[in-house]
Amino acid sequence: MTEETLSPSDLCLFCFPDSQLRLTVKNDYSYTAVKPVWAAPMRYPGQYLALLDGKGNEICLLQDPNTLDGGSLAAVQRVLRKRTLTAVLTAINTVTVEYGATYWNVETDRGCRDFVTVNLQETAHWLSDHHLLLCDVDGNRFEIQDSAMLDSRSRALLAKAL
Amino acid sequence: MSIVTSAPVDVLITLVSDIGLQGEFAPRTLEVTNEFLRTMEQDGTESLRIEIADILNARNEPLIGGGQMEITCKDGVVVPVIAYSLTLAPAFSECARGIEQLAAGTPLSIKISTKSLRCNKCGRLLPDKDGICPVCVNRNRTFFRIAGYLRPYTKQALTLVALSLCTTAVNLVPPVLQGHLIDAVFTKHQHIGILFQTIGVWAVVIVITALLQIAAGRTTAYLAGSIAADLRAAVFQAIELLQVSYFDKKQVGSITSRVTQDTDRVWGFLVDGLPYLASNSLLFLGITGMLLVTNWRLALAVMAPVPLMLVLSAISWGSISRLYFKVGQKWARFHMHLNEALTGIRVVKIFAREDAEMQKFRSRNGDLRTAGIEADTRWFTVFGAMTLLVASGQLINWIVGGEMVYGHQITLGQFVRVNSYIAMVYGPLQWFGDLNQWFSRAMAGAERIFEVIDAETEPYAKNDLHPAIVGRVIFDGVRFGYDKSNPVINGLSFVAEPGEMIGLVGKSGAGKSTTINLLCRFYEPDAGTITIDDVDYCEYELQALRRQVGVVLQDPFLFNGTIAENIAYARPEAGFMEIVAAARQANAHHFILAKTDGYDTLVGEKGAQLSGGERQRISIARAILHNPRILILDEATSAVDVETERQIQEALANLVKGRTTFAIAHRLSTLRNADRLIVLEKGRIVEIGTHNELLEKQGVFYNLVKTQSQVTQIMEVGD
Repeated sequence: MTEETLSPSDLCLFCFPDSQLRLTVKNDYSYTAVKPVWAAPMRYPGQYLALLDGKGNEICLLQDPNTLDGGSLAAVQRVLRKRTLTAVLTAINTVTVEYGATYWNVETDRGCRDFVTVNLQETAHWLSDHHLLLCDVDGNRFEIQDSAMLDSRSRALLAKAL
Repeated sequence: MSIVTSAPVDVLITLVSDIGLQGEFAPRTLEVTNEFLRTMEQDGTESLRIEIADILNARNEPLIGGGQMEITCKDGVVVPVIAYSLTLAPAFSECARGIEQLAAGTPLSIKISTKSLRCNKCGRLLPDKDGICPVCVNRNRTFFRIAGYLRPYTKQALTLVALSLCTTAVNLVPPVLQGHLIDAVFTKHQHIGILFQTIGVWAVVIVITALLQIAAGRTTAYLAGSIAADLRAAVFQAIELLQVSYFDKKQVGSITSRVTQDTDRVWGFLVDGLPYLASNSLLFLGITGMLLVTNWRLALAVMAPVPLMLVLSAISWGSISRLYFKVGQKWARFHMHLNEALTGIRVVKIFAREDAEMQKFRSRNGDLRTAGIEADTRWFTVFGAMTLLVASGQLINWIVGGEMVYGHQITLGQFVRVNSYIAMVYGPLQWFGDLNQWFSRAMAGAERIFEVIDAETEPYAKNDLHPAIVGRVIFDGVRFGYDKSNPVINGLSFVAEPGEMIGLVGKSGAGKSTTINLLCRFYEPDAGTITIDDVDYCEYELQALRRQVGVVLQDPFLFNGTIAENIAYARPEAGFMEIVAAARQANAHHFILAKTDGYDTLVGEKGAQLSGGERQRISIARAILHNPRILILDEATSAVDVETERQIQEALANLVKGRTTFAIAHRLSTLRNADRLIVLEKGRIVEIGTHNELLEKQGVFYNLVKTQSQVTQIMEVGD
């Protein structure tokens, strides 16, 4: 069976042990270590999920992971959550632009965080009109999924920084 | 999860992560002892414990926006131990190496760096770990540092200040003459001769002013040209000495704008700003003195708006500075795109993407325009407010001074003198506003320049060993990663004897080019050593070492100049016959002579006037003339036709004689003549042997050859 012929309904994904994603292909074989990776997380967030085997070879590419059955989807999402340390920014408390460095204090879905960015024209990526990805000096990622949904103060601070 | 109640243990490594058990930002501690490793939660509970004896290996697993330490146990189970942000990934990666050492029963030998993440003074996060806090850096230091570029021209700068002072002094005379004319000639109707005498003095003053201005202008022109050149040279020299890793992170256009835009701003301030700062300050003091002498009450009245101007200037200083910094950043982005579009113009055209590139250019240009307009708008708003204050000073003079004239407290001549001085006193004050803008722009530019100048350079001056190299190269347990938490070379060990040809083989990403980069010392190993003739290569003076290393690349870079200049690039003092001899050995002589201008043929930018094979043979001639003891051939024959390849192979055969050679080639058959092949996989050596030995072994190399021959057959059928 090739990756082209695999359909989401053929796939059964589950975690065992807790941290390890496994895959059984219907009426065929199993993979004991599966790594889910987004193929184009910036251009197509939430779409094109690749499943890789233990050696990093592609098992299949799912255009819409939501077509997986409920249990499989939950298992994949759980592992993806663990593999993704990008913080989703919910509010900006302060932004200070000083001498080429921008100091941020923000609220995220993972808690409050301080970080510093430099050279924002290269490290702030607009993925769409309102979707922004900020990379700090170490490469840590902070995502604003919809800048229009931020409170007015946060929006003003963001505009000031960018 | 259990509460720790065990007796104190001898902890060898303690690291605190910044990602909690549920992925939240929270501290979590990893402790490693000789017997076990464990993770501790904030409340002191132990959440995980693994016995060292059960560990097969430990590694940093890259996650999106961070990393995770994973332990593979001897029973094959992979256990995620602790997650961390990229800030801490290098330390945890090093820790994983330590855990592997303990698991293997070898002594712990790791170096976990503890760099400062925050400024000790203000507590802000540092843009560079262990680096300088840009907020706490002494602004005056930046100012005096850029003023230091005037030092070689102290005489000219002082001359300029002296000329400006003289001009200032001379400029104070006309209002006095005006007042004198009005009082003595027009009001009191004294002798008409006084009119002509005074005008005569005035004419002399005008001539002297003109002469002073010419002299000042000429001095300025000299200073401007010299300092601009010095600044550009300083930045370029700094760029030349930077570590290769700096260029991995920055784009060329962004660096170029620092050599052009930012240096322009700085020299503009140095040449136009600083001398005039001195002269205008004195002019302001001189005029203030003259006003006070004329009538102190009127002087105080007309200068009432001065403090307001100073306050306005101080308030607007910071924001204007930030806006001009942003303009600098937009310029860098603009340059970046321009560079890319011009360098890749052929690709743009062949894919008919001119419109898309134009669109991108418009966007960058628009950003630059917006930033420029924003900064200039702010500045001109402040400037307008300044002008208003200047005008109010004159109005005050008419109100207060006019009343004084009317009440005979001052003469009409004194009133006119004060009126003239007001224009002159507010001129320097307005100019101080200009200075604010000038200074802000210059400081922003200076900071961007010093960011380059202060970046870590290659270790040129680290050691001073200049021995003649024989060419015995030893890699001993070398580990290296561009991202320190993800080594791409892991425990590489081999010996290359003098004159031996080593072929480096492996799939893309196996670590071949990184091995070469390490050999050239573009990067230094994170762990392990590379020795040349049994001396750690870090002990050699860097340029002395590189003079002994020659490289022939897949796509050789030629400089805009003649063929002869390019061949003699590494040895400019080489005689013409030496150049010809090198070209002959490189099979290049024949095609060079076929060109109209022979060795004087201009190769164009990046050698664009030559074919790929011609460029390659010139680069081989360059390497032959360079005469290195260690030679690197990086896919030297991959981009040419069969006949050209034969000629290049012949040239290479001449080149490698008697030199320790490292060759990378995807076409494995071209490495048949190598003395030994080193097969790399994921940064480790998986096989070493001769071509035939490895084929007989039917291992990784055999499979690579087999795959390649199958691909070639398929391509031939396809043809």
